[in-house]
Amino acid sequence: MSGRRVDAKVVLLGQEGVGKSSLVERCAHRRFRPGPYQNTIGAAFVAKVISVGEQTVTLGIWDTAGSERYEAMSRIYYRGARAAVVCYDLTDSSSFQRAKFWVNELQNCEEGCRIYLCGTKSDLLEEDRRKRGVDFHDVQDYADEIKAELFETSSKTGQSVDELFQKVAEDYVHFTAFQVMTEEKGVDLGQRSGAYFYSCCHH
Amino acid sequence: MAADVHKKKGWEVPNGSLAPGDGQHTERSESPTPGLAQGTEPGAGQEGAMFVHTRSYEDLTSPEDGAAAARSPEERRGEPAEPSSMEQISKDFSELSTQLTGMALDLEEEMRQSKEGKLEPSPQTTRRDSVLSGKEEEDVTMDAWRMHRKHVFVLSEAGKPVYSRYGSEEALSSTMGVMMALVSFLEAEKNAIRSIHADGYKVVFVRRSPLVLVAVARTRQSEQEIAHELLYIYYQILSLLTWTQLNHIFQQKQNYDLRRLLAGSERITDNLLDLMAHDPSFLMGAVRCLPLAASVRDAVSTSLQQAKAKSLVFSILLSGNQLVSLVRKKDQFLHPIDLHLLFNLISSSSSFREGEAWTPICLPKFNSSGFFHAHISYLEQEMDLCLLLVSTDREDFFTVSDCKRRFQERLRRRGVHHALQEALRTPFYSVAQVGIPDLRHFIYKSKSSGLFTSPKIEAPYVREEEKERLLGLYQYLHSRAHNSSRPLKNIYFTGPRENLLAWVTSAFELYICYSPLGTKAGAISAVNKLMKWIRKEEDRLFILTPQTY
Ligand SMILES: Nc1nc2c(ncn2[C@@H]2O[C@H](COP(=O)(O)OP(=O)(O)OP(=O)(O)O)[C@@H](O)[C@H]2O)c(=O)[nH]1
Ligand SMILES: [Mg+2]
Repeated sequence: MSGRRVDAKVVLLGQEGVGKSSLVERCAHRRFRPGPYQNTIGAAFVAKVISVGEQTVTLGIWDTAGSERYEAMSRIYYRGARAAVVCYDLTDSSSFQRAKFWVNELQNCEEGCRIYLCGTKSDLLEEDRRKRGVDFHDVQDYADEIKAELFETSSKTGQSVDELFQKVAEDYVHFTAFQVMTEEKGVDLGQRSGAYFYSCCHH
Repeated sequence: MAADVHKKKGWEVPNGSLAPGDGQHTERSESPTPGLAQGTEPGAGQEGAMFVHTRSYEDLTSPEDGAAAARSPEERRGEPAEPSSMEQISKDFSELSTQLTGMALDLEEEMRQSKEGKLEPSPQTTRRDSVLSGKEEEDVTMDAWRMHRKHVFVLSEAGKPVYSRYGSEEALSSTMGVMMALVSFLEAEKNAIRSIHADGYKVVFVRRSPLVLVAVARTRQSEQEIAHELLYIYYQILSLLTWTQLNHIFQQKQNYDLRRLLAGSERITDNLLDLMAHDPSFLMGAVRCLPLAASVRDAVSTSLQQAKAKSLVFSILLSGNQLVSLVRKKDQFLHPIDLHLLFNLISSSSSFREGEAWTPICLPKFNSSGFFHAHISYLEQEMDLCLLLVSTDREDFFTVSDCKRRFQERLRRRGVHHALQEALRTPFYSVAQVGIPDLRHFIYKSKSSGLFTSPKIEAPYVREEEKERLLGLYQYLHSRAHNSSRPLKNIYFTGPRENLLAWVTSAFELYICYSPLGTKAGAISAVNKLMKWIRKEEDRLFILTPQTY
């Protein structure tokens, strides 16, 4: 699934309930909804425009459902992705094991996809340090090993959320600039105009 | 993955010819009678139906899935299309009157039995007058409804829990009986419905290998109706997994714990059970339309129709649990059950309010072996209008997403946006519009279109349990009217708080609820007047010209 009206496909992966949808909600709408947890069904698509220097980049973000039910289907959501934000809950070690599963999957099937590890719900650690279920240094070692960026975010406070997506966009621009030079195959910017555009994420 | 349903066997719905034949809908009488052929009653589509024809819940509970859905058109043509004269109407009504007494006795008999805790038919020796005494009726309508409690369990054939309606604590109390019955049940043949009655409970089993569905109910629903609800739960599970995948899993591993795969879907199933207790759509096996001026609806449908794509099979616009418009691929018919499942999916999750969802979905009555991909989104943040585009190609997200954009553009150009907004402000009409003082509420279903109409439930049915009680009364009449061993065409029910009347013909079903002070004669003239009103309003209350692409 390659979209013409987005520059880069970004996929969010991770165990159910780790906070992928909340991350997108914070990034796209700058808000956090406490309320009861509404698990995602299938996947949801949101476009987000981010400025990188003089340029704007439209990220087409796929917020996938963590439920195992959709695992067999997940390929269609991450195929062709330029970036994957693999999420785990900082307070839940099992979710980190699940994150490793997704990293393996991506390494096997999507070589061109950059991986961003994202530990979520960092605000819970602020409340109580002992809640940390995943050791920071262990994750950092793992991130180095798989050549991934590492972020610890909170969708509740907004901590590091913008930085995460900004980094994704910047890496895309730098990476693509390099690609354009080598492959002479640019992005079709002509498609990105007027009503054809997703309007929900302009800020 | 089985996303490409096109290539699968069973894609072709075997009953493309089920829409009423052309000759059948030329005559649209002002006030239809039971003699009317299906396809000419109020609400019948003028250019064919949108749905697969069903026979309400008999379709669900029939042993062989799908077999009953394919009612042959011959069967319907066999019914004489008698002229709709006033003579016929009065003949029908007199027939109606004569059947009332028998019904009331019947009900009284059953109540007495259940009071004594007996459920086997007993010799009817103590018949009394036709009209029920208020006190006994109270038992039915108050206590039973207050105790309205229904536990639902789903188990695998190996006995592993799959789903439980209430927490384990509540489940415990009835588990013993369930398990005991389960043993005997499992010895019975596959796809059977079994029930036992104990301690004022009805325990109903539906076995759909590899699953067993159990309800422990204290409602006065018939076991057929309870089984009907269980089958909805079964189809709900299929819509998430497909029948093929479900069977494959259990063939690989008999004691597989299915809860892993269904994690997060409990909410959808809970919501379905709640909906079935409140929304007559499920009981009627039909779909309700948002009341809308025909010109506006046509503009919406045309816009939908024009925003097509090769992979699209159904384009559905809905508001709440009411249909605004449905456009389908030529020769492909949706089953009302599948549409109900889609309604339920959307109403059970607020997650569709954000962005655009793209999710695999199986429409089990259409094809239980594969997934479609559905694009689900709300047209506007504040507006309760949800667009569902069902595609056969899971790779087609951006094409389908573009269909949405084109649809919205066309809507804007046709200038119906405002009219739609206006219609959404009053999604339900008041029964007062009919102009019959004693009439409190009604449900009218056109069988050929699979659509029904019903006003808002108003005073005196204000509290939740009062509304449920009213639906319970309809449920009761419905089950009597569709009793497989003794179906009744006309039922007249008198109680201290309301009177009800049911009238079931080959073309339509009508249930009315009116004041307890109203007389039988009054009810009969009300029916007459109501039918004329429905005919007059049919292009607003129904979708008469469904479109295809
Ligand atoms: N305290 C805190 N809670 C959070 C944070 N992010 C998410 N949550 C909570 O975690 C729960 C799950 O969040 P979602 O964003 O729906 O999780 P998800 O990963 O999208 O889950 P699936 O869609 O099932 O895969 C919700 O109850 C959120 O309120 C956070 O940063 N801090
Ligand atoms: Mg989510």
